[in-house]
Amino acid sequence: MVSLTIDGKQVSVPAETTILEAAQEVGIKIPTLCWLQKVSPTGACRICAVEIKGIERTMTACNTPVKDGIEVTTQSEALTKIRKQIMELILVNHPLDCPVCDAGGECDLQNTCYELEVNRQEFKAEDVNPETIDHWQLIQQVPNRCVMCEKCVKVCHEVVGASSLFVNEKGDRAFIDKDLESCEFCGNCVSVCPTGTMISKPFKFKARPWALRKVPTVCTHCGSHCQIDLNVQGGEIFRVTSDDEGTTNNGNLCTAGFFGYGYINSPQRLQAPLVDQQPASWGVALGHVTDAIEQVIGKHGAGAVAGLSSPRLTNEENYLFQKLFRAAIGSNNIDSEARYGALRALKGLDSVLGLHGASNLISSIGSAEAVLVFGADPTAEAPAIDWKIQEATRQKSGKLIVANMRKVKLQRFANSFLNYRPGSEIELANVLGRLLVDKGLVDEDYLNRAVGNLDELKSHLAGVDLAQAVAATGIELAQLEEAAQMLGTASTVALIFGADISKSERGEEKAAAIANLAILTGTLRGEAGGLFPLDEKGNMQGLLDMGVYPEALPGFLPYAEHSSAFGKAWNAELPKGGLDADGILQGMENGQVRFLYLAATNPLSFPNASRWRKALEKVDCLVVQDILPNELTELATVVLPGTTFAEKSGSVTSLDHRVRPLERGIRPVGDAREDWEIFADLYARLTKTPLTISRSDILSEVSGLSGLYGDICFVGNDRTRPCLKQPFSPADKSFTYRAVSGSEPVEGLQLLSGKSIFHFGTTSTWSDSQLELVPEGKIEINPEDASTAGVKDCEAVKLSSSTGVAFGKVSLSESVPVGLLFAPYHFTEQGIQQLLQDGRNRSKVTISKA
Amino acid sequence: MGQLVFSSWGREIIDNRQGGDGTSEIVQKKLPVTFDGERSMVAFMGWDGIIVADPEVDVVAMAAEYAKRVQEDYCCAKCSPGKKGTRVLQDTLARILNGEGEEKDLAEIEALADLLQNCKCTLCMTSAVPVLDTVKYFREDYLAYIRGERRPRPAEYKVKLTAPCQDKCPAHIDIPAYIEAIKDYRYDEALSVIRESMPLPAVCGRVCPHPCESACRRKNVDESINIMVLKRTASDYEWQHQQTPPMQPKPRKGKSVAIVGAGPAGLTTAYYLALEGYPVTIYEALPEGFGGGMIAVGIPAYRMPRHILQRDIDIICSMGVEIIYDTKVGEDISLMELKQKHDAVLLAPGAHKSKPMGVEGEKEGYSGFLAGGIEFLRDAYMGRPTGMGKRVCVVGGGNTAIDCVRVALREGAKDSILLYRRTRKEMPADVWEVDGADEEGVQFEFLVLPKKIIVDDNRQVTGVECVRMELGEPDDSGRRRPQPVEGSEFVVECDTLIPAIGQDPDLSFITEDTGIEITRWNTVVTKFVPQKNLVGRDLNDEMGNPLTRILLTDMDGVFASGDAEIGPLTVVACVGNAHRAAKVIQRYFEEGEAYLTDDDFHEDILSHLGVYDKDEKVSWLDAIGRFDQHEIHGRERASAGNYNEVELGFSDQEAIKEAERCLRCYRVSMIAV
Repeated sequence: MVSLTIDGKQVSVPAETTILEAAQEVGIKIPTLCWLQKVSPTGACRICAVEIKGIERTMTACNTPVKDGIEVTTQSEALTKIRKQIMELILVNHPLDCPVCDAGGECDLQNTCYELEVNRQEFKAEDVNPETIDHWQLIQQVPNRCVMCEKCVKVCHEVVGASSLFVNEKGDRAFIDKDLESCEFCGNCVSVCPTGTMISKPFKFKARPWALRKVPTVCTHCGSHCQIDLNVQGGEIFRVTSDDEGTTNNGNLCTAGFFGYGYINSPQRLQAPLVDQQPASWGVALGHVTDAIEQVIGKHGAGAVAGLSSPRLTNEENYLFQKLFRAAIGSNNIDSEARYGALRALKGLDSVLGLHGASNLISSIGSAEAVLVFGADPTAEAPAIDWKIQEATRQKSGKLIVANMRKVKLQRFANSFLNYRPGSEIELANVLGRLLVDKGLVDEDYLNRAVGNLDELKSHLAGVDLAQAVAATGIELAQLEEAAQMLGTASTVALIFGADISKSERGEEKAAAIANLAILTGTLRGEAGGLFPLDEKGNMQGLLDMGVYPEALPGFLPYAEHSSAFGKAWNAELPKGGLDADGILQGMENGQVRFLYLAATNPLSFPNASRWRKALEKVDCLVVQDILPNELTELATVVLPGTTFAEKSGSVTSLDHRVRPLERGIRPVGDAREDWEIFADLYARLTKTPLTISRSDILSEVSGLSGLYGDICFVGNDRTRPCLKQPFSPADKSFTYRAVSGSEPVEGLQLLSGKSIFHFGTTSTWSDSQLELVPEGKIEINPEDASTAGVKDCEAVKLSSSTGVAFGKVSLSESVPVGLLFAPYHFTEQGIQQLLQDGRNRSKVTISKA
Repeated sequence: MGQLVFSSWGREIIDNRQGGDGTSEIVQKKLPVTFDGERSMVAFMGWDGIIVADPEVDVVAMAAEYAKRVQEDYCCAKCSPGKKGTRVLQDTLARILNGEGEEKDLAEIEALADLLQNCKCTLCMTSAVPVLDTVKYFREDYLAYIRGERRPRPAEYKVKLTAPCQDKCPAHIDIPAYIEAIKDYRYDEALSVIRESMPLPAVCGRVCPHPCESACRRKNVDESINIMVLKRTASDYEWQHQQTPPMQPKPRKGKSVAIVGAGPAGLTTAYYLALEGYPVTIYEALPEGFGGGMIAVGIPAYRMPRHILQRDIDIICSMGVEIIYDTKVGEDISLMELKQKHDAVLLAPGAHKSKPMGVEGEKEGYSGFLAGGIEFLRDAYMGRPTGMGKRVCVVGGGNTAIDCVRVALREGAKDSILLYRRTRKEMPADVWEVDGADEEGVQFEFLVLPKKIIVDDNRQVTGVECVRMELGEPDDSGRRRPQPVEGSEFVVECDTLIPAIGQDPDLSFITEDTGIEITRWNTVVTKFVPQKNLVGRDLNDEMGNPLTRILLTDMDGVFASGDAEIGPLTVVACVGNAHRAAKVIQRYFEEGEAYLTDDDFHEDILSHLGVYDKDEKVSWLDAIGRFDQHEIHGRERASAGNYNEVELGFSDQEAIKEAERCLRCYRVSMIAV
């Protein structure tokens, strides 16, 4: 500890603390303008100048570390003069458009001038500020309002890692410029801007900050669940903000979080129920649904009724959905898109580790000594994970290993890039495991304690053929060894895997192989690091927790074993068996399933979309409960307008098991209803028993039955204290190494379907801002493949596979290796998902000019 | 400069405007009379004041121009007083110059100069110093402008950005810029900055004697910044993150250059000319895998791991440089042939021949008496038999001698003994190298002079007879001259004796018919621009060579660089010298004339003047001391066959912390001619 005196007050702080931080400890406020806690100090504004006894010049408090015994003065006549004069200089040629400036009312420059009583400006100079920059999408830059604090540059470089902003030009002509190519349009530059320099174009001139009501809630675009404030006025969302302090995301947002709210306000929103495509009242529509269900049950039995739910719905809604089906309808034919991704990851991890999701909090990634990102693009799938990786490997000195088929953004920062061949994931995981053991980089004591079948682990790894693994993965042995070395020597490891694993063929086995690797790298020990399966969808963890799949009831309780207990509680006899999504698809095709309820989900975004499309046409009654029109709302017998996260209460569970309440920011549009009200209404109609819905009632029912969420305590609207499930603490010998091996044979040109960093599911394709950035899904192709196919950049092509065709423009990119195409799936009309066989994310395709 | 009119340099006011002949050492000795051998230097304006050597100089106009250049060309805009303050300063001075000034503007200039003391770095801060001096001491001239009595006359100014460290670095790397980039977590940018002046960053991030650190202003607060290891950090970051260097050579051009020797000088010239698009062929005497010249065969792998050196070489080759190995110029191909095949030739053969020691028996060919330190290091590096036994004596006190004793341990010597005629304090070797040898178990015999090699009947060395020395009066180098103590002869037993007292270039390939003159120190003579100071003495560099050399030899189209031109010095000196050679050759190719630019002259003038002032009182809080890199300790690091790197560099976080200590001591120099 270092002791010093600030304005006569004694303070003791750890070494390397800055004077500014030390002053905060004793409640002394030193004025700042460019200081931003979450980035490295810049020392640009010089407002925080302080005097130190014995040092002639002033020192800036924000970037000067403390020293034992120093005497600091933060207020003096001389300092006041310096601060005022510097402010006066900053104001030279600052425009007087405060009344129409977007930052008016929340401008740090205004506030600092006010605090320092800067009320005149005597310096003058020629105005050499560059013109306003208007050609960037979504963000306007007004250089003459800029105070060159570089907060935007630093947040972009240090926190987000996009590194697209930079200071251009010299002297007073200097301004913040941008490399548009690398911009992620996350809007963090706008949020941190202390003045009106960086402006959100969608928000510009729309509202005054002080007139907006801030509603604290959770962003559900992905599973990161950043804590946000909906800025609301008159039933409309004008912008989304997030505080640096007290939020798990430190005020950072991604492009969808910051700009992607447009779909909520979309004029296309479904506002009234439709029956046979005609507007109808809720009574008529729900009556129609009830009648149809009863008719189908009457004719074909409850087994002919099926439903798919959604990770866009809340915990309570998913709970009610499965209860509606199992208890009120008597069908266990329920599933979701998790079948083709998250559920595989879950099963893989469960089988090896007994783990149902992430093993640790997202924040714990930030202090891991090594991070392995395996078959994931966190920037796209869960941006908050990307920021934590940046923290671990760039703000701190952790090692980053990126294993991916293509160059995702994080590859830029990787110490090791394991560019494996498609389909070789298991072999890659196995060979890393083998090398860890060979090099003595595993903790034998830990393995002995944790693993139940250590002999199997050893013998399986001993059988891993290095030469074969090198051939399969296409990665040189030296590079594999180097990666193993980094993983093995780190005392804490974060292991993150994503859609390339879980959505692929043999996804469950791949997840198991990664779980094996997690054991060997010690990922599951300690406070830092951890194992993180990623799924891009917002409340995927909540959906799984609520047991919306036929194999399990809420709390991952095996269905057959626990159905009687639940039936008892629900006053119903639960059906036996149950179809999963594949079964439902087949059932529709063969006439076994006659009624399908789609709750906020669109199977046309599932693999083999055209098969789904054909099957959906066959059912007697298709109910689509959604927020925006799509091909299926046109096909539906009944359309029920649901609501977005901004219009509902209820709770959601993040990918790291934080359970948080949503707060209703605006009323549901038109006649739309919160989705849980719809389920409850149907439940009441079918069972003739009214169902009360309240967050606390449902969650206590959940916890009573499943044991999950037992420790949850929402305190009012308190968004600073997330409720957590118990940390993962496996019992001794509870890990079961699972011997999986082999690669998938890969032939021909392969297309990989995945997520864009600018789009989230299909809803963001209704957001004007996201469409301005990416209006269509481009097919990334290696220039060599493009040349073979005879196509040029931006040319339209047709892709064909054994299951369907898709169209789109190509984008020539070195990010994809020769032989692999990558296309985002969000634009269902493009048909990318039609190219994929059932349940897969990769397919052999042929390419031709369209 | 000519006779002094006025000087405020170093805060010492000498004013001869009303008569008088006051002068200062700087004007007398440090600065040349001319800027470029022809045009007179009439005024100098910089971080420490102004010097006027011609009464006709318009000091007001010069100050206005100075402020303008600082603001428009150099101010980084990264702090408010700097960005805005220098703009206001520039405009205020411009107003005065236009006859639109008022007397109160002078007060404003004074206030601004005060305010600029709060800047983030010293660029804008020190730029206020000379401007303020002009207001203070040339007030009448200002008032004449303000009264409308004067109009500016045309004048020519030369401006240059410098910093004490950058000036002292023989390669003139923009050190503050790359340190700032590291501070900002931008290692790639840092490396790009380094590469603008230094194509061997991994090498000079490891084995540079870092003269820059001896001119670091942070020394005046506590200790110098660890500039070298920060360079290593930037360079290692690239390969440790598997990044591809971003440089792209310009389209191929017609004229080609041949380079003799793939050492630091040859590689540097090759790199910069290749980037410009010129085809470069390097002829290297050693076989493939041993490129790098003295960096490879003179610096052991525990200091400079071979694969890391090879990466720097590979990057240079990827710019379009061809290295033809196993080809000794003068034996396998003649210099004249090279001259015929190429449009220009650069001689950069280095200095690879050990100097004789002058002991009795050294020419007898005794077994166990090795040719020399540099040959020993080369053989060891190349895995050839060295002829070394178990008890090894190395004679010398320089870095090569230290490398030899440390390599001897790694080659399996049981005893490795250094014989040096002065004391540890006088050793020219870097202190950290001597300490390293000490830690590894090297034995030192100080104040001894070998006289005679002792052999047995088989002509095998068994020892060396030495005489004890004592230190007498200081010699030219300022070190006390060692003198033998009569009757103190004794024998140091050994089976191997290695002389390592210095090396010479082997210039036997430069035949007489070329007409290229060789100095008596066995270096190549190159053309230069004579620069004299006011008292008529030639200005020389630290090796005694003329200060401002064009690097062209007596033969048209043949240039020389590196140790063979400068005299045996350092990697970084070779790099700086060879970078200039590349520029000169480019001008030779493009304009048909090998010449130096104003920037070259300015650079040499500043380096002779010295930008660093060890007596400057630097006011700063010394909260965080210098951070040294991690290192493997213990004798095991020098066990037989263990050439693992001893020094381990910084973690990124340590590098950032060290970079935060940098005071960013930029300065702007302006010369009126």
